[in-house]
Amino acid sequence: MSHAQKSAKGAGGGGKPVPKSKKGGASGQKKPEDEREETLQAVVLADSFETRFIPFTIETPRCLLPLANTPLIEYTLEFLAMSGVADIYIYCGAHTTEVETYLQTSKWHPSSPASPFISLEIVKTTARSIGDAMRDLDSRDLITGDFLLVHGDLVSNLPIDAALAAHRARRIADKNAIMTMILRAGGLGSHRTKSKGIEPVFVIDPTKNRCLHYEEMHPLQANKYVNIDPELLSTHNEMEIRTDLIDCGIDICTPDVLALWAESFDYEVPRRHFLHGVLKDYELNGKTIHTEIVEEHYAARVFNLQSYESVSKDVLGRWTYPLVPDSNLIAGQSYKFERGGLCKENGVILARTCKAGKRTVLGKDTSIGDGSVISNSIIGRRCQIGKNVLINDSYIWDDVAVGDGTTVNRAIIANEVVIGKKCKLQPGSLISYGVRIADNKDIKSGSRITRAKRKVDDYDSEDISFEAVPSDPLIVGEGGEGYAYDNEEDSDDEASAFHSNLIYSTAHLNISSESISTLRSDISADTPTETPRSRTSSFVSVSDDGEAGSSNEGFHKDAVAGLLDALRKGEDFDGAKLEFMGLRLSNNATDHQMRRAIVVAFTKYISELVEKESLGASEAAKKAFSAPGAVKFLNEQAVGLEKEEDDQVDFLICLQKDLVHRNNGAVVLAAVCQQLYQVEVIEEEGFMKWWNDAEKLGDEEDGEMKNVRERTQVFIDWLQEAEEDDSSEEESD
Amino acid sequence: MPSVQTGYAPNLKVFKQSLKTAPLESSIEYLISLLKRRQIKNSRPCAIATAELLRQVVAKSRWTDVGKLIARIQDVGQRLIEAQPREMAVGNIVRRVLGMVRDEANEDRTEDGSDTASSIGSPKRQHSHTELTSTQGPPPSSLRFSSTTEGSDLSEVNGDDVFGGRSTPSGRPPLMASHTSYAVVNGVPVQQSMFNLLSATPSPNATPSGPSGTNSPHGNHPLHATTLAERMIITSKDLRAEVINGIEEILDELEQVDDQIAAYAQEHIHSNEIILTHSSSVSVYKFLLKAAEKRKFTVIVAESYPNDHEETHLAAMGKMKDPESEEDGEGVYLKSLQAAGITVILMTDASVFAIMSRVNKVILATHAVIANGGLIAAAGARLIAKAAKVHRTPVIVVSGVYKLSPEYPFEFESLIEYGDPGNIVGYHDGTLVDNLEVDNPVYDYVPPDLVDLYITNLGAHAPSYLYRIVADHYKTEDINFHKPELQF
Repeated sequence: MSHAQKSAKGAGGGGKPVPKSKKGGASGQKKPEDEREETLQAVVLADSFETRFIPFTIETPRCLLPLANTPLIEYTLEFLAMSGVADIYIYCGAHTTEVETYLQTSKWHPSSPASPFISLEIVKTTARSIGDAMRDLDSRDLITGDFLLVHGDLVSNLPIDAALAAHRARRIADKNAIMTMILRAGGLGSHRTKSKGIEPVFVIDPTKNRCLHYEEMHPLQANKYVNIDPELLSTHNEMEIRTDLIDCGIDICTPDVLALWAESFDYEVPRRHFLHGVLKDYELNGKTIHTEIVEEHYAARVFNLQSYESVSKDVLGRWTYPLVPDSNLIAGQSYKFERGGLCKENGVILARTCKAGKRTVLGKDTSIGDGSVISNSIIGRRCQIGKNVLINDSYIWDDVAVGDGTTVNRAIIANEVVIGKKCKLQPGSLISYGVRIADNKDIKSGSRITRAKRKVDDYDSEDISFEAVPSDPLIVGEGGEGYAYDNEEDSDDEASAFHSNLIYSTAHLNISSESISTLRSDISADTPTETPRSRTSSFVSVSDDGEAGSSNEGFHKDAVAGLLDALRKGEDFDGAKLEFMGLRLSNNATDHQMRRAIVVAFTKYISELVEKESLGASEAAKKAFSAPGAVKFLNEQAVGLEKEEDDQVDFLICLQKDLVHRNNGAVVLAAVCQQLYQVEVIEEEGFMKWWNDAEKLGDEEDGEMKNVRERTQVFIDWLQEAEEDDSSEEESD
Repeated sequence: MPSVQTGYAPNLKVFKQSLKTAPLESSIEYLISLLKRRQIKNSRPCAIATAELLRQVVAKSRWTDVGKLIARIQDVGQRLIEAQPREMAVGNIVRRVLGMVRDEANEDRTEDGSDTASSIGSPKRQHSHTELTSTQGPPPSSLRFSSTTEGSDLSEVNGDDVFGGRSTPSGRPPLMASHTSYAVVNGVPVQQSMFNLLSATPSPNATPSGPSGTNSPHGNHPLHATTLAERMIITSKDLRAEVINGIEEILDELEQVDDQIAAYAQEHIHSNEIILTHSSSVSVYKFLLKAAEKRKFTVIVAESYPNDHEETHLAAMGKMKDPESEEDGEGVYLKSLQAAGITVILMTDASVFAIMSRVNKVILATHAVIANGGLIAAAGARLIAKAAKVHRTPVIVVSGVYKLSPEYPFEFESLIEYGDPGNIVGYHDGTLVDNLEVDNPVYDYVPPDLVDLYITNLGAHAPSYLYRIVADHYKTEDINFHKPELQF
């Protein structure tokens, strides 16, 4: 029945050029009553099409990164073998050949007698996203029945039989129950394995285990609301909104799932797009997606560096039992678990006075010198750890040499790295393959050092080839090899801001809504003693967003470019406004981001005018604001028709902030302020409030910020006088 | 049509099924991965799986002489033991099979040496060996050395199914029961003789053809008609059948061991006693059921939280699964203790000491028994044994001989497996998970001085006597077969 449905859908969707009819025929031959298939199939998405493991994934495929000295994909395949899967299709993106070579020589390849799988196929694809891979899978017609969809970075000891049986029962009862997601309850409190930053929100009908709505929330977003269709509230008596679930990415799917992927070309990721979209279109497609929430056993994905750390800790803490090092999952491993939680292979040489403490894994032929202390760490094979080395919470892969007296704290060190004597690796350091660090270097927190050739960036040259990057002696010292990897151009979406670091923190991010709200709260709270401090923090976060380039960078760039274009051409602003609004909606930009974009566009234009056409600042400002529709646009978008004081102040702060960087910023600021007052975009109250707030900061105010607004003093004085005149006039009346 | 199969996850049953069709090497690897993933765990399933696998190894491998067969079994055994060294039953079964192969080979050899095919019957030779060993070996205890049952009698007693189809043309003596520890047949305990085992060790008299292990009858018997090659084929074929038979006996033993142990129950449990036991063990359960046939008594069950408490609760409720049927998914339950007239009291592990003063006897189940008389049992067993020691309560350990391991580890810590801490602290409690180090030892080591008596399928023994049983069951050359560095 479901197959018939599927083929109909496939034809209707029309998204698949390849063998639609053939597929329909093939599945049509199956008898509907043949509800259970002989074998279980699984699809492994070995690449996530993300860059969260940069710089390591430049040289190695993500699924081969070692977790507790065992490549990640081993855990996934072990889980599938445990579940009794027979046919496996592996989708790789980058480094396909390496994955292929690895798997061919591993015990999983069907040619090996040890393989529990009947077939294991590596599907070569040009997919650039998971969505592409799924659509490709659909067109290949490989899947015959229910299948497991997992990621190549899954670590789990979960027995899946119960969930499979539940899924099957649901599917027999209702052919529209197309998918069952397995989710691990993670408790209400903080949990190291929960996704940090991006918080998945599942809305579930507990009576039917049905997922009704899915959304992802993150600290950068402006509104902190989940939008639930009111329809859902009226049709479901019970509803749970859960954010405590660890999404381990195990989905039990019917082939209908692939058909749905094929229908929607814009779906790229399984959760934020596919799940969200399918649930939203329930009225349209009638498909239901169910959840299986497990309270026992372990299931988690290693989807970024933070989860790499937390899953490593879980493995060391034996939460993943029996997938622990001393199970020796790969042939040739000989780990033994010893009293006190030390897990080491044969041939480890420990000096008499070294301390290899709790929760530590040591690979074969690793030697540790006198006086070294190792705790909560994983060290690979053939590593040479010198004397008096301190290693804490770190993950060191194979063939690494660490010189005497070095301290390694919460770092990841890849294969064949050489670290000199008396170095200090601060928390969050990521040292990629083959880097050499000279003696006495201090590696800063959160630095990424690599030696990989990199694809030459577009702003460096037109060349697209790979080129070796010269070593940076400032980072790795004299005689060292490696350079600091700069990943800004790789942050394809704002989410990567949360994922790219080993240590989760939002300190480096501009939590824009927060900065606005602090501003608001301290204005309304009217507590002058606290104001300066919190203002500084809001200033700092504002200043951050100019440089860190984190939040909605795409929006900012596009918006500024669009507005600037309109200003230069002197076009009517209506067109630009339309485009701007579109951008804003599609990027879900906050008011603050919007203002910033507008301000930057205007100041850029003004300073262009000043520099290129050598106009005076005030003339330039006048010209800028005299563009047709500009004032209206500013009124509507930048400040808002209500002329809220706070919004005005925010606008001015943006202005001030931006002009810090520009030539003659102070002059321009004064001129712009005057213009803004004249065209009545900003009112007196706004100016006064902004000025007073800044004044209150006193010495705490940033020197540059102060310099910039110096010239505006005249204007403000004038305003004050005018006001006083007004009031005196009123009084005299 | 596997329509009754509840899921795809492999287990012992799936493994047994796959054995029939899968190539040998993949079966071996399959078992290794199942052991590593703990999808086959605990002594009995491990022992059964090992024996089943070795049967396939003997049947399917190509080997021309005993030496190669032994090497092959050793190789497989070594891999299995490395896969899961803490499941000692695996190594025990491998050693048993190895010992049996050596016996069979020796038998062939001695037969060749005294190749007067028809005139000399096997009983006579056995007697000669008896004399030999009784003078050389350590003085055997009268208890153990009571029967020199003749081969023909043995085969009768053991039933035809065991020896069916092994009427060899050469008139080889019937397979001796030494490979198995058949002790109770038809409810009558038959004391096993150990001379069989001892006789099988190569002695200069018995092996005139030298230590090479090859059968070379030509030098001694030039008149013999068959060529060497033919003879070897016959021998290996016969040997193959013999060994397979022997393995099947071991499998039978594994099936019957609990009932055999239970046959001793009434000698040890008396009316109106209060018995303390721990965790859910089929051996103990059957032992208690058997005693309850004639006597009324009380059983206190410590729940063995957190690794086995659910099963223990079920067992106390009378829902103990029958191990023979557990592979069939549904599970047939054993008769409940209450239905047998036993008063069952379930309590926490922590209250063991408090209640110990009222307890008359402690009965423990084991995971493995080591040669020094100590045992590895579910975590909490040592606590109970210690408390019993303080209260001078006798501690009885119920264990099949297949759990008795000749290994004597350097440190007992290495035998203790650490399991999933999630059984103790829920993984959803993020604060605890992040800040606590939770250890969950699955087993306890109980030293021999805390144990008063072992009851095996061979009878009751003092802990200090176990070394004799070890010597009876395993050959010295097989004890460390998996550690080449320890072999001489």
